[in-house]
Amino acid sequence: METQVLILVVSFVILLIMDVPVAVCIGISTMLTIYSVGTVETGYMMAQRISTGIESFTLLAIPFFILSGNLMGEGGMARRLVYFAAAAVGWCKGGLGYVNTLTCMMFGSISGSAGAAVSSVGGFMIPEMNKQGYGRAFNVAVTTTAATTGLLIPPSNIMIVYAVVAGNVSVAALFMAGVLPGILVGLAIMVVSGIISIRRNYGIPEKTSAKRIILTFLSALPSLLLIFIIIGGILGGVFSPTEASAISVVYAFLLAVFIYKEVKFASLPRILLASGKTTAIVMLLIGCSQAMSWILTYENIPQTVSEALMSMSSNKYVILVIINLILLAVGTFMDMTPAVLIFTPIFLPVVMKLGMHPIHFGIIIIANLCIGLCTPPVGTVLFIGCGIGKISIAKATGPLIPFYIGMFAALMVITYWPALSIWLPNLLNLL
Amino acid sequence: MNIVEALTKIKKTLSQALELAVILLLTVLVLDVIWGVISRYVGRLAVVLAERGWQVWSFIPRGQSQWTEEVATNLLVWVSLLGASVAFGTRSHLGVDYFVEKFDEPARRLIELIVQIIIGFFAISAMIIGGGILVWQTLKTGQTLPAMKILKGYMYLSVPISGAFILLFAAERIVEVLSGKPLEKSTESID
Repeated sequence: METQVLILVVSFVILLIMDVPVAVCIGISTMLTIYSVGTVETGYMMAQRISTGIESFTLLAIPFFILSGNLMGEGGMARRLVYFAAAAVGWCKGGLGYVNTLTCMMFGSISGSAGAAVSSVGGFMIPEMNKQGYGRAFNVAVTTTAATTGLLIPPSNIMIVYAVVAGNVSVAALFMAGVLPGILVGLAIMVVSGIISIRRNYGIPEKTSAKRIILTFLSALPSLLLIFIIIGGILGGVFSPTEASAISVVYAFLLAVFIYKEVKFASLPRILLASGKTTAIVMLLIGCSQAMSWILTYENIPQTVSEALMSMSSNKYVILVIINLILLAVGTFMDMTPAVLIFTPIFLPVVMKLGMHPIHFGIIIIANLCIGLCTPPVGTVLFIGCGIGKISIAKATGPLIPFYIGMFAALMVITYWPALSIWLPNLLNLL
Repeated sequence: MNIVEALTKIKKTLSQALELAVILLLTVLVLDVIWGVISRYVGRLAVVLAERGWQVWSFIPRGQSQWTEEVATNLLVWVSLLGASVAFGTRSHLGVDYFVEKFDEPARRLIELIVQIIIGFFAISAMIIGGGILVWQTLKTGQTLPAMKILKGYMYLSVPISGAFILLFAAERIVEVLSGKPLEKSTESID
C-alpha cells in the first residue's frame, strides 16, 4: 500500500512542477498507480472513468452556468448593477469600495464565476475608482477579493463540482448553505475597505435620493430577477438545478441580445466557443479526478490520511485548523477546481468521522480556496484583476494583506460556526 | 512547403472544424435541456386536456420527453472531450507554471518537449488504446441507449477520437518547439 501512495504522490508532484496540465498530471499518476496494483487494465479503467465521470445530468449545469456567465459579462449587466449599488451605498465615506463589493456580490451571484465578476465589474469600477483618487493597488485588492464572494453566493459552478465529487450531496442545499457565508465574506471585505478608506480619506461622498435609488434599481431589476428565478425555481421544485442553469442561459441571452442589446448575434459563436472550451477544461479535470478517487478508495488512502491526522490530535478543532492550513497552502499555487477535486475525496471522510456535515465542509473548502484565488504565485482572479488595474502582482500584494486577514477571519467563523451554513438549508427542509 | 508549415496548416484546419463542432453541439445541448423543461409542463397540460376530451396534436409529448436527458448527458461527453482537444491545441488547460518560469529559455524548451511527450503518452495509452478497448467492450455487450436506440459503444467513440486529436496537437507542438518558435504562454481563468 505504501508503495502505491508513494507512486501517486511523487509522480503527481513531479508532473505538476513541470507545468504538465493538471488533468494530465492526475491522469498519468493515477495510471501509474493502477498499473502498479496490477489487477485491472489501466488504460481501459482510465477511459471508462473519464467518460462515465462526465456523463452526469448534474454536471450539465456547469456548461450552462459558464455560458450564461459569459453572456452576462458582455451583456451590460455589471454596469447596471454598479449604478444601483452606487445609488444605494455610494453616499458614504469610501463609498466606491462598498459599491464595488456589493456589485461583485450581486454579479458573482448571477454569473457564478469570480473570473467573470472581476473582469466585468472591475473593468468598470477600477478605472472609476482610480479617477476619484482611490489608490490603484487598493482598487485592485477590493475587486479581486470581492469577486470571489460570487463563488459562495448561489448559483455557483464550484458547488456543483463539489456536490459531484462528494457524492450524494444536494446541489440545492449547497446553494442555500452558501448564502450567509457569502454575505459574511462580503461584509468582512467591506469592513476592511471601509477602515482603509476612512484612514486614507478616500472618496468624495455622492448625493443620492430615493428617486435615484428606485430608478437605478428598476434598471438593474431584470439582472437581479435572474437570481430569484433560479433560486425560486429550484426551491419551489419547478425545475432542477441543471434545468435552472439552462433557463438562465435563455434568460441571459434574451436580456443581453434583445433587451439591453449589448451582445450582437455575430459574437455568439465566439462566446459559445469560449464557454465550450472552459467547460471542456473543467470536465476533463473532473473525469480524470473520478479515476483518481477510484484508486484512492481502492487503496484505502482516505482512511490512512484520516488515521494520520487523528494520530496528530483527536481534537476536532485542531484537525480543522490543520486541514484549513493545508488547503490555504494548496490554494496559493493551485486553481480552485482541481484543488476541490483532489482534496475533497481525501478530507471529506476525515471530517465526516468528526461529525461534520458534508454541506458544511463544502462551504469551508470553497471559502478557504477563495483566498487562494487572490494570492500569488498562482491566483487566477488576482491575475485578471492586476491586468485590468494595470499594476504588477508584486504591487498589489501589499494592499491585499488586510483583505486576506478579513477573509481569513470570515473563514474561521464559517469553520467553527456550522449553523451559519446549515441553518438556511435546514430551514428550507433541504437537508 | 516544409513539415512545420504543413503541420501548422493541418492543425489550423482541424482546430476550426473542432471549434465549429463544439459551438454546434453546445447550442444543441442548451436547446435539448430547455425542451426537456418545456415538454414536462406542455406534456402535463396535454395530458390534462386530453382527459377532458380535447383533441391534442399527437406530436405534443405526453409527460416529459424521455430522450432529452439521455441525449444531453451523451452530448456533454462529446462537447467536453472534443472541447478538451481544442483546449490542448490552444494550450489552455490549467497548469502550474510558477516553477518552470524560473528556468531560462533552453531549459524551458526542453521541459516543454517532455511535457508534450507526456501528453502524447496520455492520449495514446488512456484515450486511444484505453478508449478503444472501452468502445470495443461496450459494443460487445450490445448495450443500447434506451431512448435513442443506438449502441452505447458508439457514444464512447468520443474518447479515442478526442485522444487522436490531442496526440496530433502534441506532435505539432513538438515540431514547433524543435523548429525554434518562441515560447508564449496563455493564461485563462475557469473559476
